[in-house]
Amino acid sequence: MRGVIPHSILFIICLMAASSFSIEKSGEMVQSKKQKYLFLAFCLVPTFIMFSIFTLYPLFSGLYYSFFEMSGSSSNKEFIGFDNYIRLFNDDIILDTIIHDYFLVVTKVIGIMIMAMFFAVALTQLKIKEAPFYRIVFFFPNIMSVVVIGILWMFIYNPDLGLVNSGLAFLGLENLQRPWLGSETWALPSLVLPSIWAGIGLFMLMLMGGIANISKSYYEAAEIDGATQWQQFWRVTVPLVWPQIKISILYIVITTLNGSFIIVQVMTGGGPNNATHVMGSYLYQQAFVQFNFGYGATIGVMILVLSLITVMILQFLLRREKVDY
Amino acid sequence: MKKLAKGRLWFLLAAVLMLLFAAACSSGEEEASGTEDTSGGDSSGEASGGEEGGISGDLEIQYFVGGYGDSWWKEVIADFKEEYPEVNVIEHAGPNINEEMRSRWVSGDPPDVVYIDGAGSSETQMVEDGQLMNLTEWAQEIELENGDKLVDNFIVPPSDYEGEIYSLPLVFDAWGTWYDRAWFEEAGYEVPTDFESFMSSMQEIKEAEGIEPFVTSGQHPYYFLRGMLYPAFGAAGGDELLASLITGEEGAWSSDVVLETMQKVEQMASEGMIDSGLGSLNHTQSQMNFLLHDNAFIPVGFWLPNEMEADVPESFGEYGFIPSPMQDAGEPYAVVPDMRPLAIAENAENPEAAKAFVDFVFTRDYAMLFSEHTGAIMNVSGVDLTQNENVPAYLTEANAMINDPEQVQLYHKPHPMSADLETPIGNALLSLMLGNMTAEEFVEEAEAAAAQYRGN
Repeated sequence: MRGVIPHSILFIICLMAASSFSIEKSGEMVQSKKQKYLFLAFCLVPTFIMFSIFTLYPLFSGLYYSFFEMSGSSSNKEFIGFDNYIRLFNDDIILDTIIHDYFLVVTKVIGIMIMAMFFAVALTQLKIKEAPFYRIVFFFPNIMSVVVIGILWMFIYNPDLGLVNSGLAFLGLENLQRPWLGSETWALPSLVLPSIWAGIGLFMLMLMGGIANISKSYYEAAEIDGATQWQQFWRVTVPLVWPQIKISILYIVITTLNGSFIIVQVMTGGGPNNATHVMGSYLYQQAFVQFNFGYGATIGVMILVLSLITVMILQFLLRREKVDY
Repeated sequence: MKKLAKGRLWFLLAAVLMLLFAAACSSGEEEASGTEDTSGGDSSGEASGGEEGGISGDLEIQYFVGGYGDSWWKEVIADFKEEYPEVNVIEHAGPNINEEMRSRWVSGDPPDVVYIDGAGSSETQMVEDGQLMNLTEWAQEIELENGDKLVDNFIVPPSDYEGEIYSLPLVFDAWGTWYDRAWFEEAGYEVPTDFESFMSSMQEIKEAEGIEPFVTSGQHPYYFLRGMLYPAFGAAGGDELLASLITGEEGAWSSDVVLETMQKVEQMASEGMIDSGLGSLNHTQSQMNFLLHDNAFIPVGFWLPNEMEADVPESFGEYGFIPSPMQDAGEPYAVVPDMRPLAIAENAENPEAAKAFVDFVFTRDYAMLFSEHTGAIMNVSGVDLTQNENVPAYLTEANAMINDPEQVQLYHKPHPMSADLETPIGNALLSLMLGNMTAEEFVEEAEAAAAQYRGN
């Protein structure tokens, strides 16, 4: 986080400066080449330095440490070549963590996209009077910290006092009651619900923005042609908001692969018996609980590689011609 | 034109504001990290005594604040400052202090004295990393207030790393099993004396109260490992078995003695004695369930009453403590002390002051004070707790019990188990407690974990 703030601020300053510059240019001043390059350097060099310090340096040092055996609690380290990578391939838990991560990716993408799409269409096209109110309600979880969400849902899932089990008891479904987060079978699926709940709002707003940009005339034309609401949705809405859908899916995938750590760490700590460990939480456990910092760095490299591959595959799968009616 | 100039002015203002904001952010961070150091300030001029061989300068002390609280530390440090007015004591303390100070240890700039306790700390790891000063020789020189040698008056001797001493055990804690004495007396439940009576007592409670009688923290399975299994292993195989299990010796975890012990755990699980919801409970939640009588037995160390002081519901009666009853009928209870040591950093900047402080702390007076403040025992023998009204009853009783070899046999582990071995074993253990694994499968997993640990 530390790196992100000055980074983005610099970027914003440059943008502002650039816009004021162009205003000036269109006014009267003619800009010399030297000035232009100076200005570009002024914008780019600090950003690049920041980027190098806060992004490239940690990236490469992570790669570097993955070749060492070190505890992470002292500066002692020993070069061990590819031993950590060999260990990675022989570690049974690693495969589980990858499966858990992609389970969360798939369920979250499906859950969030369906719900966000549904709410976005409902709030923009069904002419609901209370739309602004719902917009705030659905967006609300997004302004809460994931840690708070995790703790909140821990109470909801509490086996004795929680909303879920008491709700089931109220409905007379006692046989469905479970120690949700304490069960090796149910703990991971139980994490999906809070993750989806927390994610809908942002993507709903993105999709609403996309839908609002679609000209009403398309729907009118479709209606005259006798298209049903359903056909209008598939033939008009979806193709025209495809860029937003694509961005949303990519964003969910990336944030899940990098960030599902938080909700796992808060709600289950990876347990029971590794049943909910994702790559990030296992990295944390290895590096900071079991004091295998070098091995943790190796897991970090694996996360990077898997994220890159996943995003590339998704880019390929989600490519579509830009639609313009 | 005027409009344009005005626009530029606004941009400039915004940019300056942004920069100021960024600057404020960074300095804020520095401040925040500064506040964790509750600097002792200087107490020069106030002190009366202490011409102690010119010991001066900054002395940094790192101590974890958990179930025992920090009142004892505050008092001891205040006394130390009075004795050594030239020393400026800087305290680094709190429940997350091990994490907060990690970067200092990594960068080779550690505090001088460290009390090793709580999450994120590992004495074994610190020794392996060469972060602690070798105290083997110096420890022989430390004396208690009446001139007794400290090394001869420990209740439990220091951890032994191939014959060397790197830490001095400060707090003597013992894990055991807690119950509500008033509740048991009123309802006529049996206080277990061995595994058989433990099972029958739990059966009785289960039937009468309709609860699963035993609970522990599933998020931290080491509570069960240290609180129930170590005593069980001690009773079954003595110090030798404990040592071979903790060091992950080949064949130790798959031995018959271990399998028999694990079958007892399997029996507890299969007969429904273990809370089926424990998988998601952290330690305070499990302790709360115990206090609410959702369960009847819980394995925790001496710090339980102190830690839960503010949360005791009215329905809870009185704390009762027994060593964990995992041993076979006819045998004495087993206790495996759990030590929290004090150590000096290898790279301490002020080793003289650090030694002075460690020397200063180990006295019988402070041991008595420790029991008053924390309800636990400091690792110095010859402290008579029975005459002190401020020491809680459960502690004097437990202390008497522990000192009676007919009732309780003490077993010692060579050093704490490494997190690298404890984590996978804890995971398998949880699965066993949840009834998803058999004792045979557990033993197999544990042996594999030990093999992996030896290989690293």
